[in-house]
Amino acid sequence: MSKYELPKSFDYKDVNILKQFITETGKIIPARVTGVSASNQRKLTRNIKIARFLALIPYTDMHK
Amino acid sequence: MNKYEAVIILNPNLSNKMESFMKDFDSLLSNNSFSILKTEDVGRRQLAYSINSHNKGHYLLFNLEGDPSKLIDIENKIKYNESIIRHIFIVVKQHNGEDSHLLVESKTKKKEADSEDNPVENIEVKKDDDLKKIKEVVDTESDKASENAEDATVSDEEVKDE
Repeated sequence: MSKYELPKSFDYKDVNILKQFITETGKIIPARVTGVSASNQRKLTRNIKIARFLALIPYTDMHK
Repeated sequence: MNKYEAVIILNPNLSNKMESFMKDFDSLLSNNSFSILKTEDVGRRQLAYSINSHNKGHYLLFNLEGDPSKLIDIENKIKYNESIIRHIFIVVKQHNGEDSHLLVESKTKKKEADSEDNPVENIEVKKDDDLKKIKEVVDTESDKASENAEDATVSDEEVKDE
């Protein structure tokens, strides 16, 4: 069983789910580590990038 | 006609002028033949990083419907509005009628803040429990320490014997 909680559809506003797929430094974790399917990884990446732009999740841990 | 989801982050210092902003925004959209299907006022929220030296932002979510060619005009107007620190328009196939996770989160936080005002007794009970736990931990640790000390003396003696 996967330890990651996958929703039916990814949403950039659902910060708690997106946070599972970024590291402590804010990088997106590769699909080969998480086991997310390629199509889901594309959707996930798109939503993470929108959430970053809206300051819901950080780009990095080096923000001042 | 396209369906859009819009997120607008307002300057947190202008939260009081929300209503006038909403009126302006409504008229801006309706002048460009956009219709608002749903509005969500998430309220102030901590930003993950500071934008224009703001650490908090007032989040507004909209479900919109309108003509893509008019969207450029709207964005041009928004760009020069200084009370908006960030905005995004996203094309969606279909609107999700449910409340967004952001709104639900802010509502639960408000509820927690309200409920924290009342229960004083519970906190005291918790403190007692904590004290008990601490005592237990201290007791077990001191036991372990004494055992270790005994072991140490024994081993010392053994060394001396050798």
